Amino acid sequence: MKLTRRQLAAAVCATAVAPAQTNQAAPPADDLQTARERLKANAEALAQHDLPAGTEPAFQFQP
Amino acid sequence: MAAIPNDVFFATVTELNARLKAKEFKDEDLIRAFAERLVQLGPRYNALALPLAQDAHRKAKLVDQELKIDRLRGPLQGIPYGAKDLLAYKGKPTTWGAKPYAGQVFDYNATVVDKLDAAGAVITSKLAMVELAGGGGYRYASASLTGPGLNPWDITRWSGGSSSGSATAVAAGLVTFALGSETSGSIVTPASYCGVTGLRPTYGLVSRHGAMALSWTLDKIGPLAHSAEDCGLVLQAIAGGDSKDPGSAGTGFYYSPQYMRPVKDLKIGYAAVDFADRAEESARPAFQAALAAIRDAGATLVETTLPKFPYGPILSTVLAGEQASSFEALISSGKVEELADRAQIAGLKASLELPAKDYLKAMRLRRLVQEQFRDLFTKVDVLLAPGRPGPATKIDQPLDRGGYQPPSGTPAGLQGIVQAGNLAGLPALVLPCGFAENLPVALQLVGAPFTENQLLAIGHDFQTRTDWHKRRPPEL
Repeated sequence: MKLTRRQLAAAVCATAVAPAQTNQAAPPADDLQTARERLKANAEALAQHDLPAGTEPAFQFQP
Repeated sequence: MAAIPNDVFFATVTELNARLKAKEFKDEDLIRAFAERLVQLGPRYNALALPLAQDAHRKAKLVDQELKIDRLRGPLQGIPYGAKDLLAYKGKPTTWGAKPYAGQVFDYNATVVDKLDAAGAVITSKLAMVELAGGGGYRYASASLTGPGLNPWDITRWSGGSSSGSATAVAAGLVTFALGSETSGSIVTPASYCGVTGLRPTYGLVSRHGAMALSWTLDKIGPLAHSAEDCGLVLQAIAGGDSKDPGSAGTGFYYSPQYMRPVKDLKIGYAAVDFADRAEESARPAFQAALAAIRDAGATLVETTLPKFPYGPILSTVLAGEQASSFEALISSGKVEELADRAQIAGLKASLELPAKDYLKAMRLRRLVQEQFRDLFTKVDVLLAPGRPGPATKIDQPLDRGGYQPPSGTPAGLQGIVQAGNLAGLPALVLPCGFAENLPVALQLVGAPFTENQLLAIGHDFQTRTDWHKRRPPEL
């Protein structure tokens, strides 16, 4: 089963580090293509959120 | 040479230090016994990256000389520990768990290594890890220069990653404590799977100088140990400002749980569904019992939800942007192909193509995440969730798909708390809380920035009411 980018974005938690258990189905054979699709899916998930114009990036990172 | 009793391998920092000061045995003998055990058992679990027996022996002799003249350096004096192999150790290989860096040698120590040396702790080993801390996204547990991290509770299961060797070494009694690192889950997951106590400090509290940079705005270094108290004592030694770390918060840490609010006065945010339908069925009894123990301590449990954000995509985007820059030379040179895991290679390559606008969008959303967590912590004191939904995965299970799926329509609970906590730079404490399928499961407590003492106080209270943290893997 191939997922749409939106479905992939919903399923992907973190691509890496400690792999989150996700609900995604078997990825396509081409690993690089899968990784690219994941980046696009992430971008689409971020695009769903509008940001106030004054929101600056968290460069001065103060937790 | 004095015989070292077997219980020593699972003793806490405080217990061991007391026995050293009581001259029950020499540190030289203690360190030799740990070093032999490490070399004997470490490879069984693929936990050992590099033994440092000679250096450890030299240091132990110094400790014995100091103890002889009552020159006391504190609770870590003479205590054996291991460091995740992404921390620089002068003159010896620091491989970052990855073949392209197998011959890498630094001429300086990571700040945390120097700090522990000053506290009298004895480094006995570099410990195995997932290659490059798994930044590119790996499919199999075998994504490591040293092979898959095998769980001491059952070697057909994974130890968790990316701090695989750190959690395994503590669980198997190969070191008394270990240093790991977390970008997103790399302390929480292996601590949960191996049944050890793990602490992810607030971002900036512990210097990252000399540590591999995976993500400058996400990386944290923290301890894995036999108890919450041990984590507090280690954090006290490694925390503090460092001009060599641009992300340093410039603040120290003194372990003082006695001054924290008692558990009965705390409001703990949680989602009941995380301990029921969102947990694997085999783990639910342990999670329910752990919740009951927290309730019995008098805490007020408050049903809570996380602010609504796509935490996974935000974190992945930030990570992709930063690792692309950090590993640009590796990727562009083609040496990335030497890595063990195809998915990891592909993820790193793709990250070079991330548009700047996506990284910036993620970092702007991250600002809102931080603000909304600040608000959340005005309503509850800490958050509580399972460390992982169930016990360790099988060693050959693909990690980037499958996994436990709750019934359709199950509420989200605190899903995404690991990614959210890392995005907001929040501390987390992992506490073993029982067993499922004869494997450990754990709780995680997440607090506001710089509330490590409060988390550790809750953890210490929990560990005086339960003994899960004292359990040992079979045959060890």
